[in-house]
Amino acid sequence: MDEVGPSNQEEFKGYSGLGTEKESALRWRPRQLVFRPYSSINGADRKLRVVVRKPLVARLTKDVIETYQICNPKFKYSEELNPKWFLTSPSVGVLNDGHDNVNSDLILTVNFVLINLETRRRYIVKNVLGHGTFGQVAKCWAPETSSFVAVKIIKNQPAYYQQALVEVSVLTTLKKKYDPEDEHHIVRIYDYFVYQHHLCICFELLDTNLYELIKINHFRGLSLSIIQLFSKQILRGLTLLKDAGIIHCDLKPENILLCTSVKPAEIKIIDFGSACMEDWTVYSYIQSRYYRSPEVLLGYQHPFDMNFSSLNLDHLIRYTTAIDMWSFGCIVAELFLGLPLFPGASEFDLLRRMVEILGGELMLQFRMNVNNLFLVYKNLEGCARIFNVLKALIGMEDGKEGQPPDYVLKEAKNTSKFFKCVGRIHNIGNSEVCGRSAYQVLTEEEYEARELKKPLIGKEYFNHKNLEAIVTCYPYRKNLPKEDIIKESQIRLALIDFLRGLVEFDPAKRWSPFQASKHPFVTGEPFTRPYRPPPETPHLVDHHPGGGHWFAAGLSPNVSKRNRVTFHNSPQFPMVPYGHANCYSSMGSLSSYNDNSGLGSSYGSYGDSSSIFACYSPVGPSVMTLHMQSGASMLGGSPNARWRIMQYSHGNGVGMSPSAKNFSLLHLGTSPSQFTPPSSYGQGSVGFPGHYGGPTSAARNSCQGSPLRQVTDGNISNQAERNSQVVDGLPSRIQSNSSSANWKQQQGGIGMATSYSIVQNIPKSIGLGSSVQLQYITGATEDKSEASMPLPGPGYWDPNYSDELLLQEDGSDESHVSAEFDRGMQIGSADSSVRIGRFNHPSSTASSNLSTQRILDFYFVCAVLIQLMLRTLDILVLYSQILTSCCTTQNSRSLSRQQNFQRFNHGKSAGVQDRERNHMKVHVPPSFSSRSPHSPGNSSFSNDMPWVTSARY
Amino acid sequence: MENSTQESHLRSDNSVTYESAYTVYAMALSSTPSSTNINHQRIALGSFLEDYTNRVDIISFDPETLSFKTHPKLAFDHPYPPTKLMFQPNRKSASSSSSSSDLLASSGDFLRLWEVRESSIEPVTVLNNSKTSEFCAPLTSFDWNDVEPKRIGTSSIDTTCTIWDIEKCVVETQLIAHDKEVYDIAWGEARVFASVSADGSVRIFDLRDKEHSTIIYESPQPDTPLLRLAWNKQDLKYMATIQMDSNKVVILDIRSPTTPVAELERHHASVNAIAWAPQSCKHICSAGDDTQALIWELPTVAGPNGIDPLCVYSAGYEINQLQWSAAQPDWIAIAFSNKLQLLKV
Repeated sequence: MDEVGPSNQEEFKGYSGLGTEKESALRWRPRQLVFRPYSSINGADRKLRVVVRKPLVARLTKDVIETYQICNPKFKYSEELNPKWFLTSPSVGVLNDGHDNVNSDLILTVNFVLINLETRRRYIVKNVLGHGTFGQVAKCWAPETSSFVAVKIIKNQPAYYQQALVEVSVLTTLKKKYDPEDEHHIVRIYDYFVYQHHLCICFELLDTNLYELIKINHFRGLSLSIIQLFSKQILRGLTLLKDAGIIHCDLKPENILLCTSVKPAEIKIIDFGSACMEDWTVYSYIQSRYYRSPEVLLGYQHPFDMNFSSLNLDHLIRYTTAIDMWSFGCIVAELFLGLPLFPGASEFDLLRRMVEILGGELMLQFRMNVNNLFLVYKNLEGCARIFNVLKALIGMEDGKEGQPPDYVLKEAKNTSKFFKCVGRIHNIGNSEVCGRSAYQVLTEEEYEARELKKPLIGKEYFNHKNLEAIVTCYPYRKNLPKEDIIKESQIRLALIDFLRGLVEFDPAKRWSPFQASKHPFVTGEPFTRPYRPPPETPHLVDHHPGGGHWFAAGLSPNVSKRNRVTFHNSPQFPMVPYGHANCYSSMGSLSSYNDNSGLGSSYGSYGDSSSIFACYSPVGPSVMTLHMQSGASMLGGSPNARWRIMQYSHGNGVGMSPSAKNFSLLHLGTSPSQFTPPSSYGQGSVGFPGHYGGPTSAARNSCQGSPLRQVTDGNISNQAERNSQVVDGLPSRIQSNSSSANWKQQQGGIGMATSYSIVQNIPKSIGLGSSVQLQYITGATEDKSEASMPLPGPGYWDPNYSDELLLQEDGSDESHVSAEFDRGMQIGSADSSVRIGRFNHPSSTASSNLSTQRILDFYFVCAVLIQLMLRTLDILVLYSQILTSCCTTQNSRSLSRQQNFQRFNHGKSAGVQDRERNHMKVHVPPSFSSRSPHSPGNSSFSNDMPWVTSARY
Repeated sequence: MENSTQESHLRSDNSVTYESAYTVYAMALSSTPSSTNINHQRIALGSFLEDYTNRVDIISFDPETLSFKTHPKLAFDHPYPPTKLMFQPNRKSASSSSSSSDLLASSGDFLRLWEVRESSIEPVTVLNNSKTSEFCAPLTSFDWNDVEPKRIGTSSIDTTCTIWDIEKCVVETQLIAHDKEVYDIAWGEARVFASVSADGSVRIFDLRDKEHSTIIYESPQPDTPLLRLAWNKQDLKYMATIQMDSNKVVILDIRSPTTPVAELERHHASVNAIAWAPQSCKHICSAGDDTQALIWELPTVAGPNGIDPLCVYSAGYEINQLQWSAAQPDWIAIAFSNKLQLLKV
């Protein structure tokens, strides 16, 4: 009461936030006149008032109708007369008894109630989140669960209805069978029903999409750590899709959404409205243009292009989950750049950009890299970069990386739209052996002449034309400390390498989700050398820590997957009758590997395409039998098996029908009214058993398989040159192949082992049935094999080198098998980097003995040069430049781990030579103590090691 | 304690009580002093009678003598209990033109305007946007734009807000503001208003972009009605809202939507009314069914145990209404039962 505060209003005009301590704002305080100081005791002592009345404020708001009706019984209010808040446009009802507008969209208003008539579950429409050709997506309140959901309300037209059923079945299967724990960043489906002739699919509610996120960021790239996080999550999703044999077909930033209020940021892949099964690729016009893969752009064939009766399976080349990986690469690039990597205004423009950015200006690129990297790093780390470049160079030479590979161009129906044929047609297919593509992209003028119209060419966003320069030169965030710039520049190198494996023209060489997920850019490991992905299969084990095991895959009923490989992967192979699909499965993969070695491109690792027929076949059991019978000898043969298969074999035993069947049936166009939950579709598959091989075919399979192996021997020995690769054939070790951690480990170790005995052992150990066992039981063997790996001995580059151990290898069938297997796995990247690997290696050993090293270098370079004989002079010059730079480098840090995966003479050298080389390692006296079985024989040699071999030589 | 002193407060220096013939709900303080006596302030009181015919009385309050002056002619019948009464803000032009009249608006079945003269009241107009005569969607509240005094926005249970140009007596615009009934509306600027609704959200609208609204807050439990909304005229970043059957006053910062900056939880029963101090950006008064009126100072940083009010007044009855006089910021008016009470702060 004694406080007298000023009460003049004028003094309190100042606007200040709660956080500011402006004098004027503080000056006024309520005086304690009738108001008393508050004390919590006061409050606590108070008895709670029992209030029976309704506050007047509620009676005149919430209950105003009742109140007014009490005041005046004649008072009438009708909610019906409230102005309608239409969420659908146009909002005039002209179809479906006035429920639908002219576009067959259900006319939604705020508080419109969608009802699942079976469960009586209600969804109250609150807002429309978006719309598209399929219909609308509404944000709805679900009173039953007290939560918001997103409901996709499909147009009332049979085509959209049917396609939406696919989405339902895909998502339901993914949810129930593959990702029950919701760990793979795929949007969750909650419910689906038909309401007023509209299929309604109920999803978890998510937040903004990545395009919006980039937009909010003013189309500047996101931070690399965020990109890494997102990449990891998207890859988890794509891994699952691949395992399930599902192609998303419309992956783009708009279809990747942030989860609501989750920290750290989590994303989910949405919109499976265009998705299809790998074995049921119905549409050829798919994917949003910027994210469209070259094979789709070129119009890969699909089964419906042909007459079923004359289906020529060995010429079926179809798109696979690899198309999603292309899109994923585009997305990652866009997250980094803020703008699409290939913003093609037309398909021609799109292809032109791809060729330019991925293939163009290789020489420039090379020079830039060499110069920059050695300037920047002043050490051998920079060599990693050179690998990239050289890879690109080789790619150019082989015509493999600058444009889609010939085998794609040969099969694709739109090739003639964009390419002219510059080679002899009958050579196509073998052309890659000679190292030159038979196709050349049309120029703008040529395209115009052919199509009689100018191609739409979009604006160029980047000052640089090739991927490396675009990424390297992208502006750094302002005010970034120098150390951070250096750090980021290194991550950018990893990003380039990452992108190169994703936006890879050859779908067979493009990394799988699993392979990509082990890339240093994703794992965060330091990037020291071009990434060489592990074989595709090992994640079998990954997903099934308990039972994961290679053999399990063979036992799984889903083997039909594998069978498909046969058809598509080995175009060179004679056509296979359907009935034998199973028999051929393993053979097919083997053969495809074999082919690959010849062709330099691997369908084998591709292995995803599949035939419709296979998809229906409940072959599982028979194939399983087969595998059991054939035992160890079979094992190398099916690299394409998927872990999903294992899932089944573990969980359900033999007879399970593959989920793929469910999907296929859905496609068959049951009428909407018959629509039932996808889970019930499995039954349908029973109808097809007749087509597929029983035990007989199984037997055949094994028979055919082995001859093939024999055949492949010659070629494969090539690859087998490093025993480590052989070892790769084992799932257990494959797993960790890629991790640099292992490499380092090995680096520490010294010693060598003869690998041959090991190789022989491998199959047996596999027979044991679980990867875990394998690792431990055969531990000793593995050690040895590791040791044998990548010794940079003279044999690597000496074409005349020979060894009696060669003979040993010949004696061992199993080793061939695994070699083949390995081959298949590794085809993707091995070729190109090999030589460089050798090349670098010497520098890494510098510390031990510089002069020796130089000599080695020299040998290596000689070998390289021989390899390069057919190339242009320019390239030779470049190589010598590299040589110079490397030799002058002081840093002795070993980059040489590269050797692990590189093969010297891959693919082109004569079989004999290859064999000779293979055995070279055996000589290395090794004492490998490293336990990690996977380490692909890192060059972790002691200093002496190389010398040992060389001395021997 | 409070009860015993209640009577003395009737004539205390710092509070004064007016007893009406009926339950008081709606209440308005004129923004301008009465023309005859610069110190007098008009107060409009609306009845809450469960009858079609309700009453509105205009009395004037003299802070010098702490007395009320009534005039038998300064009253009128009102259909249904008025949901809100409000004098036209900043009516300077009118007073300078020697007119002693105030413009009063009331909401109920419709929006009505009344001219309050020295000794008479004339109905000016009934603003009805309903398309049928048979049905009526009651107005739950309205707010008079103090920057643009010709503009009144109403909130209705038909989910809309209607903006009236009262000079032309036309609807400027009608917006479907919420998914459910709209319970209160408050102007921020000439063209910006906010509203609260049974859908549990606080939304801001800009008349320049009628297609969009910004959701400033949503009840954690959707469809928990928000009954009242008060926009801090001293600092437009802040607004306060109350939920039905809740003892909380929720303070919002429009710059950080969805998360309240503070929740004031010292009432012991539901909060019925809130009013920002007209002279300070940091003070707000709340009143509720616990019979208390609490004055709060919003701290820079809230402590771990929540925010305590600065001071408390207990009325002895559930407080239904609360107004903080803009013309005489020392006085807070509360209504409980059939009483109006003016409290000096």
